[in-house]
Amino acid sequence: MLNLSRNTILWRHGLILALLLYCHGTSYAQSVCLPLPRLLTITPMGGTVGTTIDVTVSGENQDDVTELLFDHPGIKAVPKLNDQGVKIANAFQITIAADVPPGLYETRTWSRLGISTSRIFSVGNIPEVSRTQANTSRENAMALTVPTICNAVLTNKAIDHYSFQAVAGKRYNIYCAARGIDSKMEPVLTICDSQGRDLVVERKGVPLDFVPKQDGLHYIKLHDLTYKGGSEYFYRLTLQELAVDAPQPTFFATQPIRSFSWPPAGLSESAVTIEDEGAEVQVMSLPIDVAGRFYPAADVDTFEFAAQQGETWWIEVASDRFGLNTDPALLIQLAKGDGEQRQWLDVLELSDIASPVKVSSNGYAYDGPPFDGGSTDILGKFEVKETGTYRISLNDLFGGTRKDPQNKYRLIIRKAQPDFAVAAWGLHAELRNGDRNALSKPAALRVGNTVAFEVVTVRRDGFDGEIELTLTGLPPGVTATGLKIPAGKMRSVVLLTAAENAPAGWANVEFTAKSKVGETEVVRPVHIGQMAWPIVDSWSEIPNPRLVRGFPVSVTTSESAPLTLSAREARVWEVKQGEKLQLPLQLKTRAEFSGSVVSLKTWGSGFEAHPAFNINLTEQFPETTIDTNALKVPAGDYTIAFYGVAVPKYRYHPDSIAPAQEVVKQAEIAANVAAEELKKQQDALASVAAENKAALEQQIAELTTKKQAADVALQNANNQLKSVTDRAAPRDTAEIVISEPITIRVLP
Amino acid sequence: MDRSNPSHPFCYIVLAVLVCFSIWPMRASGNETLDNKPAANANTPRVVSFANDVVPILTKAGCNAGTCHAKAGNGQNGFALSLLGFEPKEDYTHIALEGRGRRVFAASPDHSLLLMKATNRVPHRGGTKLAPDSESYRLIADWISQGLKYDGETAPKLVSLEVQPQRGVLPRNSQQQLKTIATYSDQQTRDVSEFALYESNDTSMATVDAHGLVKTLDIPGKVSIMVRFQGQVVVFDAAVPQGSPVDQLPPSKNFIDDAVFANLKELGIPPSAICDDSTFIRRVSLDIAGRLPTQEEVALFMQDTSPTRREQVVDRLLMTSEYADFFANKWTAMLKNRRDDASDIISNFAFYSWVRDNLLSNKPYDEMVRELLAATGTVIANPPVAWYKRVKDPKQQLEDVAQLFLGVRMQCAQCHHHPFERWSQDDYYSMAAFFSQVGRKPTATRGEDMIFHKRGLAGYANAKTGIVQRPTPLGSPTVAISPDEDPRLRLADWMSSPENPFFARSLVNRYWKHFFKRGLIEPEDDIRDSNPPSNPQLLAALEKHFIDSDFNLKELVRVITTSQTYQLSAIPNEYNANDMQNYSHYYPRRLQAEVLLDSVDDLLGLRTEFPNLPSGTRAIALPDNSYNNASPFLRVFGRPENESVCECERIQSSSLAQSLHLMNSGDVKGKLGNGANRVNQWLQSGKAPNEIIVELYHIAFAREPNEQELATALAYVNEPKLDAEGKPIDPPRILRENFQDVVWALVNSKEFLFNH
Repeated sequence: MLNLSRNTILWRHGLILALLLYCHGTSYAQSVCLPLPRLLTITPMGGTVGTTIDVTVSGENQDDVTELLFDHPGIKAVPKLNDQGVKIANAFQITIAADVPPGLYETRTWSRLGISTSRIFSVGNIPEVSRTQANTSRENAMALTVPTICNAVLTNKAIDHYSFQAVAGKRYNIYCAARGIDSKMEPVLTICDSQGRDLVVERKGVPLDFVPKQDGLHYIKLHDLTYKGGSEYFYRLTLQELAVDAPQPTFFATQPIRSFSWPPAGLSESAVTIEDEGAEVQVMSLPIDVAGRFYPAADVDTFEFAAQQGETWWIEVASDRFGLNTDPALLIQLAKGDGEQRQWLDVLELSDIASPVKVSSNGYAYDGPPFDGGSTDILGKFEVKETGTYRISLNDLFGGTRKDPQNKYRLIIRKAQPDFAVAAWGLHAELRNGDRNALSKPAALRVGNTVAFEVVTVRRDGFDGEIELTLTGLPPGVTATGLKIPAGKMRSVVLLTAAENAPAGWANVEFTAKSKVGETEVVRPVHIGQMAWPIVDSWSEIPNPRLVRGFPVSVTTSESAPLTLSAREARVWEVKQGEKLQLPLQLKTRAEFSGSVVSLKTWGSGFEAHPAFNINLTEQFPETTIDTNALKVPAGDYTIAFYGVAVPKYRYHPDSIAPAQEVVKQAEIAANVAAEELKKQQDALASVAAENKAALEQQIAELTTKKQAADVALQNANNQLKSVTDRAAPRDTAEIVISEPITIRVLP
Repeated sequence: MDRSNPSHPFCYIVLAVLVCFSIWPMRASGNETLDNKPAANANTPRVVSFANDVVPILTKAGCNAGTCHAKAGNGQNGFALSLLGFEPKEDYTHIALEGRGRRVFAASPDHSLLLMKATNRVPHRGGTKLAPDSESYRLIADWISQGLKYDGETAPKLVSLEVQPQRGVLPRNSQQQLKTIATYSDQQTRDVSEFALYESNDTSMATVDAHGLVKTLDIPGKVSIMVRFQGQVVVFDAAVPQGSPVDQLPPSKNFIDDAVFANLKELGIPPSAICDDSTFIRRVSLDIAGRLPTQEEVALFMQDTSPTRREQVVDRLLMTSEYADFFANKWTAMLKNRRDDASDIISNFAFYSWVRDNLLSNKPYDEMVRELLAATGTVIANPPVAWYKRVKDPKQQLEDVAQLFLGVRMQCAQCHHHPFERWSQDDYYSMAAFFSQVGRKPTATRGEDMIFHKRGLAGYANAKTGIVQRPTPLGSPTVAISPDEDPRLRLADWMSSPENPFFARSLVNRYWKHFFKRGLIEPEDDIRDSNPPSNPQLLAALEKHFIDSDFNLKELVRVITTSQTYQLSAIPNEYNANDMQNYSHYYPRRLQAEVLLDSVDDLLGLRTEFPNLPSGTRAIALPDNSYNNASPFLRVFGRPENESVCECERIQSSSLAQSLHLMNSGDVKGKLGNGANRVNQWLQSGKAPNEIIVELYHIAFAREPNEQELATALAYVNEPKLDAEGKPIDPPRILRENFQDVVWALVNSKEFLFNH
């Protein structure tokens, strides 16, 4: 039997504990991704057309926000000034022109690190208020007039209460905008009677029509599904009265990523045919363009048509891409026999549009982007093998028991109209063991930096061509490379490089995709995807990506890229097919690194099989040998880049320390002066004449107040100095590093 | 205990009462083949059937019980038999062909190991199972000597079983001999009384011996004797009247009273009187809303002079949010709304809320079950999908659905024919087939899927035969379901059909138990022919009423709680104290964990804080089991961990730990000493002690204290006290401390701890 002394056991336990603490420390001391500017909140979250309102903004890595930018020229913001004419940090005055259409607008900030990610700002035509006092009980419910939009932020572990005077029989339309305006809140809206009894509950985030049975005070309770709160859990509560027969008003919401492939270019907003809900079968002739509903529950819509052998038709169904929770499934069957003898033979089943790239499985670590470009909708080909009568059965795989008349679809059967839709987002990669980050990434470049955007396409109706990507209007000093999705491929990477001497600035970039369909050149917009919120660990919070409008690209000179890797000369590197290219590289580092070696892989069609190689971060002129024989690259011009993960010891805004020190110094002086003045007068009190004593005491009181204020200012200055000093301490930060693009010509 | 877990030997536990024996390996002498045995002539005994004689004898002796030679694995000591003899062919192989022929010795049957073990002539761990002079012994010996014939395929099949008499009225402390007649496919009948198995469903009322002799005891009521033979089950129902005069029945309010009072009259058990108003409002508030009545509610009720005032109380309670909270708490526990991972919180809250909102809006029960059974989509868009996150295997799905919504326990039938029921393995897999087309797609949430109907022909292979079974509702013909149809919708159609023999019955029985402590069928989720209801007329009437009301749950609660039966006093009269089955008086119940915690809080004007939930959240409104971790109170008083579909997971029995917790725990003491509690607030505001005592009684018991109670409490709160050093304590502190004791005493009183 093992005989261990108590000391040995304690020592061993201590060792294990120390090891655990060490491991824990090393695992979590490392951050991922260099800081990028992110606008997280704008409060209030919207305003009424034709008004001017004050807002405050908050975010991540935003120092010295100087501009608040909207994607509509009719919405303008100017910094808010205090009584002394000094700019109030993060405060703006927004003017919404009277001609701005109600809707959602992208808002971004310009600050030290560049252009931020976007946050939604809503514009409506109903009077708005902001909740200013706690309303977490029925007793302190906030009274609302009708109509009103109330902007508010949920309190953690609490329920917000509102009250309104209701008239029996009237229709009140109540809606809590949350997810659709970038909030993290999953709204739960409850209407209560005057005694606080729950009457009706709405949890699906859709408008609620409430017709009270009795006149009198009613309450609206609002909370998050899991009772979370805080600045990220904001909402806009709309309360309005509608005519009983009025249509449901439009409430705008952001679009999910999957929406980028809808609609096909040139599709009219209205379908040619409306589904006949009463008909068991709708007999139609091809082509077909039908608007219908998956309603009532377990609805199966059937369309019958004739088709000729040899024809090819393309079928597309949209419903999920409208932002609905539906899963259309389609079955084509061929009629065999007639009359009562008729039988239907299965010909084709269609369901789901595959994501162009493998999506994150939310496993232990990164295994795909957290952006899903696929959909539960349908896009497929129907080749008619036999002339005859066919029928399509269309149903919602999620619709067995759900009775929602809003579950709409559009079914299109057309001759091939080859086309494509394109989306792009900031590239993600595994940056450390178990990394599951899903951070929102604006195109905010540091000088000397190359960043990557992943570009994917959904190809329509057999389109297989190469897609050229174009970025026009880049800011000075910024170049874009890798600008094509090869023929037959679904993915590419676009590199944006800011030259080392690029000036600070930004520009709204037009990002488009171009290709030839037959002899016709078609140009399509590249839709941009972005995480609504930066998620550090997608196990603790589910990422919520969405499409954003606009693609501003910025350069900051406040910071430089930690390293720049490029070819030693800016030229086309030539190599004969089948031979090896000794590629000299140049490495410029601007930071200390944790670890001395970076393993690099290769991007670029035909070169991705180039084996991973290491570069030493202390070596200024590394090189790699590319074997075109092993890669079997045909002759031609290629653009490649190398990428990997490095861990710089990043310091956040060290330049902020000196000004903070100066503030402390000034505050110390002011505090000392105040203390001396006070002491002087206090000393004088002993010898002051009786008739002057009262005046001196008054003066001492004022000086005491002044000294207290100076002490507080000094304390604040010290706190600020500590804060910026702590932030500027070196921190291991894993980051994707990408070389500048390199052009290679493979000669025959 | 997770009775829904297929790996749990619940089926076998039932059989564990049967004792068994084991056979040690022993080399048999002789090497005659079976075919060489001489045929029986006219002088030899009748031809003994292996299937119809030998196997039933083994069953009767308990040899093929789940705990003995039919134990999963390899039986006992290498000798395996099929459970309860459901597989005669296998048994024949084990007995006659395995063990190198040592178990049977045709040349000298008495020296067969099988018989030597059974009679304990060779040491047998199971003891003596057969007497050497018994008919059973003789039959087995004859079968051996007749050549060990296997006749499983050729022997007449048992067509029906009959017990005589089928029912009867037996006086207390009397006897009745049962006779069991088996009818075979060759039209022959046979008295199998000696070979059948007998079991009483309530041994406190009647016992039955191995020969079928029933002896009633002192307790009146309805008792059943289950008789089993060769896989068939029949029941002898006995009424054991008390015979007391029943001449003063309360006027009947509805069909419930008609059925209950008729039964009481038949049994001669006079019911107790109708309970007083205080008792009623406290009882019905606890049962419907899971909380004590508020002082306002009590005052409103007491001032009301309307003849329908009790009905109005019920209606008001059914409109409260607490009704929905309380019953959602009940349902989500059985629907396994369990937090295994922090990321479960969203699906658990969504699912709980879905159940709760449906109860609040009084969605018809059949619709609710349909939406759950055939849920598709994502949890956020369609919360009942969360059930499919918890219950992933089609077999588990069928077992849970059958037990929860049909009151049928199918677990046994996964591996063998149900011992007490008609359900076979084919029935089991035919039900599983309804869930065979549940498709899953991954979501961004770890461990959570989108659920959809996967097109295809539904079917599930019988694990034993490999034959694919098509969807077939229990006791019904196979349903033709096209590949396009979600079979779960057809299952829901069948369940909610008015003709369904289980669905409504199961629910009304479950709810009856909620209000009366004891189901008309017990356990409430074990409905089978061999477990008859104590009042069949009442169960049928409740079932009809529920179906006629379009599965209206609130109406069911209303009709139950407005009956005179529900409003009978818990205080027994001189005749009905023994009755625990016929609802002659209200059966008091200890408050369940959440209700008790809320009641203590209500009494003290406090609220227990729960992680992630708003202040003021009641324990009855907790969405899942995770809150048990932080609450010793909830754990000690048996709040379930939502692991089982069975309500029995909730511990309702009392224990020493519960008593100690109420008396000594920091939890309760902290509440009593909390400066913010209502008693301390009253004392600080100068409220008079007698007024405080009266208010406490109002809150705790919905009544005034009587003179003696008031006097005792007043005397106590003013009693002087000394501190540890023997110095007198100042009066305000005395009052504060003494009032803590008074509240402590109220909380620890049975009147508080029980719904009565």
